[in-house]
Amino acid sequence: MPVAVPIEHVLALAGLLFLLGLIGVLVRRNVMFLLMSLEVMMNAASLAFVAAGARWAAPDGQIMFMFILALAAAEVAVALGIVVQLARRFESLDVDNADEMYG
Amino acid sequence: MDLLWLVPAAPLVGFLILFVLHDYLPKVVAAVVGAGSVGVSALAALLVGMDYYEAGAEPTWQLLWTWMSVAGFDPAIRLYLDGLALAMTGVITGVGFLIHVYATGYMWNDHEEPEGYARFFAYMNLFVFAMLMLVLGDNLLVLFLGWEGVGLCSYLLIGFYHRDPANGYAARKAFVVTRVGDTFMALGLFLMFRELGTIEIQQSLTLANEQWSGGDTTMALIIGLLLLGGAVGKSAQVPLQTWLPDAMAGPTPVSALIHAATMVTAGVYLIARMHDIFLISPEAQLAVAVVGLATLFIASFTALVQTDIKRVLAFSTMSQIGYMFFALGVGAWSAAIFHLMTHAFFKALLFLSAGSVILALHHEQDIFKMGGLWRKLPIPFASMLIGSICLAALPFTSGFFSKDVIMLTAFEHASHGLVFWGGAAIAAFMTALYTTRMMIIVFFGEERSEAHDSSRLNMWGPLLVLCALSLLGGWFGFGVVADVLPDGGLGEFSHFSAVALVTMAMPFLGIFVGWLVFGRRVIDVEALAASKAGNALKRFFFGGWGFDWLYDNAVVRPVMWVARINKGDIVDWIYRITVAVTRGAHHVGSLTQSGRLRWYAANMAFGLALFFLIVLGVIG
Repeated sequence: MPVAVPIEHVLALAGLLFLLGLIGVLVRRNVMFLLMSLEVMMNAASLAFVAAGARWAAPDGQIMFMFILALAAAEVAVALGIVVQLARRFESLDVDNADEMYG
Repeated sequence: MDLLWLVPAAPLVGFLILFVLHDYLPKVVAAVVGAGSVGVSALAALLVGMDYYEAGAEPTWQLLWTWMSVAGFDPAIRLYLDGLALAMTGVITGVGFLIHVYATGYMWNDHEEPEGYARFFAYMNLFVFAMLMLVLGDNLLVLFLGWEGVGLCSYLLIGFYHRDPANGYAARKAFVVTRVGDTFMALGLFLMFRELGTIEIQQSLTLANEQWSGGDTTMALIIGLLLLGGAVGKSAQVPLQTWLPDAMAGPTPVSALIHAATMVTAGVYLIARMHDIFLISPEAQLAVAVVGLATLFIASFTALVQTDIKRVLAFSTMSQIGYMFFALGVGAWSAAIFHLMTHAFFKALLFLSAGSVILALHHEQDIFKMGGLWRKLPIPFASMLIGSICLAALPFTSGFFSKDVIMLTAFEHASHGLVFWGGAAIAAFMTALYTTRMMIIVFFGEERSEAHDSSRLNMWGPLLVLCALSLLGGWFGFGVVADVLPDGGLGEFSHFSAVALVTMAMPFLGIFVGWLVFGRRVIDVEALAASKAGNALKRFFFGGWGFDWLYDNAVVRPVMWVARINKGDIVDWIYRITVAVTRGAHHVGSLTQSGRLRWYAANMAFGLALFFLIVLGVIG
């Protein structure tokens, strides 16, 4: 019989992970780390969904996790293409190099 | 009757042709189009008039099209023809045509604007069109359109010789001074629309009678005075008369057509058209009479000391229009329109013959440089003589019939009969006096200049026709204006009462005194004018009783002073501050557009956090 973890703890963990991911997005300049931080944020959101699904004994939370997984895969596919372009054009992975793209 | 639309349409087409093609038209074509279009219009007016009387003189409408239709407000371009409109149309197209024909000769070898021949006729045609819309329009909007249109043409034609800045100044002065009156008039029209809820003239007059007569007439008084303000500006009456003498800067046919025969009588037309308002409010009608009397008095004294032949005629025009206002004011409605018509004949004649004199003397307008011209310029002399006896109202000329009715009606005025009649009689004496002075100085005495009369048929032809109209126009005038206006036509007066005889004697007295003073020189006028009191009085009269001086110091100089110290325009600061704030905000906003991905993400996170905090009720 597994010990039930209180949902407050899980949500606190999810929030912590989301905050860590956000900080990573904001402070890292390397685009690879930026993408990894994004993954952490998405997984934090997924964790919150799963925890909520378990708490109310509903399947929706886990289905939502599936969607987020698909979304993350698609995002990575597109983002890696951009990363390759970035690396080719600027010969670095520093995302601030692309700051001339504004109207 | 179906031809009514053609009356204003012909001059409009003429204007469009001349205005668009004025650089490419030979002079002959311009002359034919310019005078011909008004001729077509006059012919159409004649046919329309014959139809009108055949059909029993019933007012008729002709709807051309609906101007706009917005929420129950649908002013139409619709022509309205009654006896009043027909009389005005006849004068405008008939006299207008004669003046146009004359102008084809007068402007032919113009030394100041040799390139402006077609342009001149374009403006003249536009003027005739606007004037016709003014008198034929069936609602206040069309009337106002014509009213402002003639003002524009007046401005353009006064400043026709635009190379001389003084003419431009005269044109601006005329435009601004009449604009003062127009503002009053526009307010009057707005007020009428607000109070009566319609802009159709006939309907609004009916409503005005239903709503106000017998009851509270304050609103009618206010509207009447505002309309009088507009009429005063356009018709050069006291206190807005100062523009007319300066308007003589335009070519002489313009002075004849616009500043004597037609446009300046628009004020008379307006009051006659709106006569119900003035009948409801006797105070407003009395104001009209007082304005008229004051003007005819002031102007006839001023005319006595002028040295420029056109200015003499300009002041005489002012005083004759004063007679018309006076007639409207004392209730001689038909007589006013009658005088308008006869005045159009003889004043056009006077101006055109003065134009011939001026042309023969190579644009010399000072009467003291003329003299002894009657032998050399027989046709201008004869026509000016005929015009003068009509102006002085000698018996059986056209001016006599109209002026006589006005003065005798004034004598019968309920409250101020004797004062009104006396003032008008003195002015009639003055009219004869200054006319005699002008004739004697210009045509008699020693010769002071070389004159070459080179006028042809197209110049003396109109003069002869106008001579005939001036002499005989009084006879058929009775029928034309009989049944439109509320006094039931021209009154019947005995010509053998004491008042009638004195009225009739006044011009003779004026001519006799004029002959004694300026012909026989019984009194030495120069010595009189050189004396201290005489000189002061002469300068006072010469300057038009100080009105120009007054306006210059009371209005023009203060406005110029304010304009000078307010060069930066205080009011503009509101808009400049708005511009500065917008620019600053834009600058701050554009700083956030850095192109940095992490900056955008941080903004997004911050915004979202704020949003959640507000939703959760932590802040706000």
